[in-house]
Amino acid sequence: MVLFAAVIISFLLHCFGLSFHKIIFYVNVLSIQNLSKNYGVIQALRNVSFEVPEGSVFGILGPNGSGKTTLLGIVLDILKATSGQVFFNGQIPTYEMRKHIGTLLETPNFYHYLSAERNLAIAAEIKGKGKEHIDTVLQQVNLYERKKSSFSTYSLGMKQRLAIASALLGNPDVLIFDEPTNGLDPVGIAEIRDLIRRLAATGRTIIMASHLLDEVEKVCTHVAILKNGNLLTAGAVDDVLQTEDIAEVGAIDMQALAYTLQSMNSYSSMIKNENVIQLKYPTGTANLEAINQYCFNHGIVLNHLQLKKKSLETKFLELTN
Amino acid sequence: MLHLLKIEWLKIKYYRTFWVLSALFTLSLYGVNEIVYTVQHNAFTNQPATQMIIGTPPFQFPEVWHTVSYISSYLLFFPGLIIIILMTNEFSYKTHRQNIIDGLSRTQFIYVKMTLCVLIALVSALIVFLVALFFGIYENNAGFSVENIQYIGMFFIQTLSYTSVALVIATLFRRSGIAIGVYFLYAEVLDQLLSLAGNYYFNNAGRYFPLESNDNLIPFPLFKSAKDRIVEPANVTYMLITVTIYLAIYFFVCKRKMETADL
Repeated sequence: MVLFAAVIISFLLHCFGLSFHKIIFYVNVLSIQNLSKNYGVIQALRNVSFEVPEGSVFGILGPNGSGKTTLLGIVLDILKATSGQVFFNGQIPTYEMRKHIGTLLETPNFYHYLSAERNLAIAAEIKGKGKEHIDTVLQQVNLYERKKSSFSTYSLGMKQRLAIASALLGNPDVLIFDEPTNGLDPVGIAEIRDLIRRLAATGRTIIMASHLLDEVEKVCTHVAILKNGNLLTAGAVDDVLQTEDIAEVGAIDMQALAYTLQSMNSYSSMIKNENVIQLKYPTGTANLEAINQYCFNHGIVLNHLQLKKKSLETKFLELTN
Repeated sequence: MLHLLKIEWLKIKYYRTFWVLSALFTLSLYGVNEIVYTVQHNAFTNQPATQMIIGTPPFQFPEVWHTVSYISSYLLFFPGLIIIILMTNEFSYKTHRQNIIDGLSRTQFIYVKMTLCVLIALVSALIVFLVALFFGIYENNAGFSVENIQYIGMFFIQTLSYTSVALVIATLFRRSGIAIGVYFLYAEVLDQLLSLAGNYYFNNAGRYFPLESNDNLIPFPLFKSAKDRIVEPANVTYMLITVTIYLAIYFFVCKRKMETADL
């Protein structure tokens, strides 16, 4: 009965252009509003605004020095914004809220003279979480066997893992990772990605800054792209990093080929190079067979026909250049 | 506050440098008094006439509280050094950032360091109390007296001033090398120099300079009658008020810096 009523209400709201889901459940975990930050004359962030929806894996993408860490530093009260405001779940952030966010910012920060276990004991004490989680998180990042060794004896990759372990303490609902795979070997990178995917599958919100596109493409649902402190774009990965198909065709008589192709109108744009012509299609719509057939019907025999997927990297370079 | 102190305890508990330095400091507090004791003891034995000049035997109750506090005050810089090490560690390991990221407020972070300054000063005063008690009983166990014991309190306030100055310098300079350098030069030379200038130009105002006013809380214990005739003794009440004002300024500067700066 209740379920029935909910469906009816949801339907009615939908008729008015509102979504039941949005009104009742839709919360932005993090909301960045008009954030600017100056370091003297250098403007590290310029009027950046975006929203991180609950349950998303949100990638903050940008080249080195684009303001990613500055942005996260302000969110975590390590840096003071020159202007603008940050909200957690619609509220002004407090230190109590930070206890429920697991964070790895820039570098692993630990007491060099203490062991992994004792460093995590400090973090657990600050967060007000019990020590019983320490072994679990150390196992999650494969450091359990080395938990008694002092932090100063760790390799860069191990330090990074310890920082991730610290962020996982007490099962926080929101995780912030700044370059989480920094300094890790290929196996470590794969493990951390896997861990992030598993965390995301449990409904946690994950905010991840990275300059590695591959990383973002593989795990993120949403992305914001920063360059020189400006927000270039933000939104769902599929919208922002929309890729396209490219069909490359070539024939002996390039001019005749170009002339013929001009009369074929299924593609979105055409680029003429010396030896090949590139036809651009929206993702998944390029049909090589049809192109071949069309050219053959118009008396042209192709000597080159190839489908190329535009890489995310090209897209990223396009956006940031 | 207990929760915050527990966090500090977890940082210090297994920090060997801290314990080694603290042990050496304790040993030195005893050692420096032992040196002076031996020297005056030999002087009294060999030249009974010196007793006439100096006055009451300095290591007997109740003089011992004053003497030991004064001698120990030559090691005042040391608790401040420990504070500088503890504070600049946080900056160089960037754990001050991590503590705040993990859920301390900026204010809590600096408050607990201030509390640490007070606690270290308290423990130092306690050690000096025990050293004085030891020498007093050793010299003459019959005449125990708590007269003059206020000098132990003065020693506490002096130590607190040094640890607080150390906290200010560590908070402002952040790097251990420069902080230690500035601290020593200020505590040992610059403050004295400024104070001399103050004394010369502003009618003894120099004794109210930050650490100088503090150092004057425990006057030189010997030759009392002769000394009082040469220099007008400092007014202890004014000195205490001045020291309190400086302490308030130190803590305000630290708090303000931690609350507003980019960390």
